[in-house]
Amino acid sequence: MTTEMTRRDFIKATTLTGGGLLVTFYLAGCGPATPTTTTGPRTTPAATGPGAAVTPDPGDPSATIRPNLFVLIDGSGGITVTASRSEMGQGVHTAIAMIVAEELDAEWDQVRIVRAPADRALGDQVTGGSASISSMYDRLRRAGAAARQVLIDAAARTWAVEPDACRTEPGIVVHPDGELRLTYGQLVSAGIPDEDIRVNRVEPWKDPAQFRIIGTPMPLRDAPDHVRGATLYTNDLTLPGMRYAAIARCPTFGGRVLGYDRAAALAVPGVTDVAEVDGGVAVVADHTWAALQGREALAAVWDLGSLAGVTSEEIRQGLVDSTPAVGTDSISASYDIPYLAHAALEPMCAVADVRSDRCEVWAPSQDAQGFQTAVQQITRLPREAVVIHIPPIGGKFGRGLYVDAVPEAVLLSLQLGAPVKLMWTRDDDMRHDRYHAMSRYQATAPASGLEVPRVREILATSPIPTGSWRSVRNHPTAFARESLIDELAVARGMDPLRLRLDIVGVEARRVIELAAAESGWGDPLPTGWGRGIAYHATFGVTHVAEIAEVSVDGGRIRVHRVVCAIDCGTVVNPDTVRAQMEGGIVFGLTAALKDGITVSDGAVVQSNFDDYRLLPFDEMPEVEVHIVPSSARPTGVGEMGVPPIAPAVANAVFDATGVRLRSLPLRL
Amino acid sequence: MPSVRLNINGEDQVVDAPAGMPLLWVLRDFLGLTGTKYGCGIGVCGSCTVHVAGRAVRSCSIAVEKVTGPVTTIEGLSANGDHPVQLAWLAENVSQCGYCQPGQVMTAAALLAAHPRPDDAAIDAAMSGVLCRCGTYQRIRLAIQRAADRP
Repeated sequence: MTTEMTRRDFIKATTLTGGGLLVTFYLAGCGPATPTTTTGPRTTPAATGPGAAVTPDPGDPSATIRPNLFVLIDGSGGITVTASRSEMGQGVHTAIAMIVAEELDAEWDQVRIVRAPADRALGDQVTGGSASISSMYDRLRRAGAAARQVLIDAAARTWAVEPDACRTEPGIVVHPDGELRLTYGQLVSAGIPDEDIRVNRVEPWKDPAQFRIIGTPMPLRDAPDHVRGATLYTNDLTLPGMRYAAIARCPTFGGRVLGYDRAAALAVPGVTDVAEVDGGVAVVADHTWAALQGREALAAVWDLGSLAGVTSEEIRQGLVDSTPAVGTDSISASYDIPYLAHAALEPMCAVADVRSDRCEVWAPSQDAQGFQTAVQQITRLPREAVVIHIPPIGGKFGRGLYVDAVPEAVLLSLQLGAPVKLMWTRDDDMRHDRYHAMSRYQATAPASGLEVPRVREILATSPIPTGSWRSVRNHPTAFARESLIDELAVARGMDPLRLRLDIVGVEARRVIELAAAESGWGDPLPTGWGRGIAYHATFGVTHVAEIAEVSVDGGRIRVHRVVCAIDCGTVVNPDTVRAQMEGGIVFGLTAALKDGITVSDGAVVQSNFDDYRLLPFDEMPEVEVHIVPSSARPTGVGEMGVPPIAPAVANAVFDATGVRLRSLPLRL
Repeated sequence: MPSVRLNINGEDQVVDAPAGMPLLWVLRDFLGLTGTKYGCGIGVCGSCTVHVAGRAVRSCSIAVEKVTGPVTTIEGLSANGDHPVQLAWLAENVSQCGYCQPGQVMTAAALLAAHPRPDDAAIDAAMSGVLCRCGTYQRIRLAIQRAADRP
């Protein structure tokens, strides 16, 4: 396909959407006081080593070209890549920039990243399903290659040579004679007319064998700011005249407020307003602490609504096994998981600034355009007047797909006529999540033969909200299927590794064999220890095997070592793949070993990290990650480390104790 | 509103803060030092860790008027982000979302100031109350060992 993108097209596109992208671009680099901020350019020590600073191109930094929506090149040779998906720790911004830089043949240290606001011109911006890179890979490569072609064409015109006879080195177009050179910055400084920023053809994309950025471990661009405390998350933003809000919420879902002490809240120094909002009462103040104190002072009384008296045990009664539709020579078992909270360290929050003709929102969103639609519906402003900024996100794991805090902040800003920062407290975040559904997964397989167990999902009608939680159904599906395979192996008197190798396909076999070899499957373990394996292809695309070594002591399960093997196609950033596997394993271990969410009298019982515990530092197992080399398309890594770990640990517990655990969290 | 004298990152400050207001909110909302994060509000996650007189303290759980020593926040740990702990964090590519990392870094820096060569048990004891939902613990241990110049 021929790409044809011009700067005029870009300007047209952004004019249609209110100039949000242009605003972002021109604000880039204005410093931390500006809520719309940028990432980079940074010379990170790990990337270049000390003293390897890039000499700036002595060009005109005010001259720019934008060959397409994703790439801007300035006269100093700086490359600005627009990242259209949300960065929440999964490394997507760095990966997006790496792909563009690869095809553009850019100097990596000259690349900076800007976060895009909601903008339909950028295509799908939903950050979910671990699909950002897999869905954008070709588009980003094309964007980089097209920009490179513009520069090659400009140099060829200057030299009056054939473009196809020129080549590039990082940041430089090289004359066919091999001697003359023009840097990207020089070419842009010299001026490239609009009509020449039209690319009717793109040189063939790079042969992956020539990749020098894709496949190389790169530090996340955000990391230097992280360790200096300089990253500005949503809750760190301040706008002139901004008010701070907290909301007293009905502990149940769907209840309403019966009464509250408005005067007591207003008597708290710094509290200026009290307003009823959907599902609660907002206290607005000069600063966060006053808002929180005012919320306490409300002493709100609630009508718990239709959920009064409801318990999670009752909800669990609705998880009824169906009769397996198989013959008598089958084996079937049911596996239960509880409600689970996302529990990101950054709680839900939003900053909203609603004016008569414009609304700006900053929120940790995984769905910028969906949030834009929601805000548009509230404010009735034209779409282009609703600007949704996505600051760096403090983890979200699916929670950021749900808009909840944003309408609250928007309505308060509308009501007060001032910018509002709304922070959910930890208690709000834990008790008003969209939980992973409490569910039962029934796995069935013939007692003999080479068939992978079939898994059926049984959901109770949930009166409390449920939603996408890192890996969604893959977590319980893997727990059921991979546990049942172990049960089958026991029934047949087989090694569970052997049985898996007999029944799975070729990609699965590759990661299972790799994990088994690296873990020393079959080697003796200390007394009281056990070893378990599980494999899962999350969303059917990324193959991951994990082998856990555990000890059981007085009913306490301790995971000592996890060996992970992954096949995710082409690896863009190997360090990110490792980090996501390490992190996914920790996320899954928390679900396997710690706490579920329970409901009592219609309300979520757990309210903080003391009763919804996360795996702590001293329970971190040694994790090894092994990556299968591949030149296939990238398939995604953000969620894929999670599903295999709970069944791997449950199978290891069986190996250690002979006790089969079919409910999460695992309790002996 | 009572005036409270504080020394923050080497500078004397006087802030007017209601009695009982946690140091966390003084730092964030009054002084604009937003590197110190709110995570739980009850002292169980460690995201809000700062140094008071060199010791790691949960700023969400100490009233500002009870602060009796100089306070160092993540912004004041080093002039240029080059404290050995910060450099080790970068070398080991520790952070993912980064939200808890100021608290992790401050906790580790206090540990190493008190115990320049901590063994694994000492690292466990110091770090186990600082939660990371992204799961960066393995790299945190490597970074602390690197900063301690210990294999």
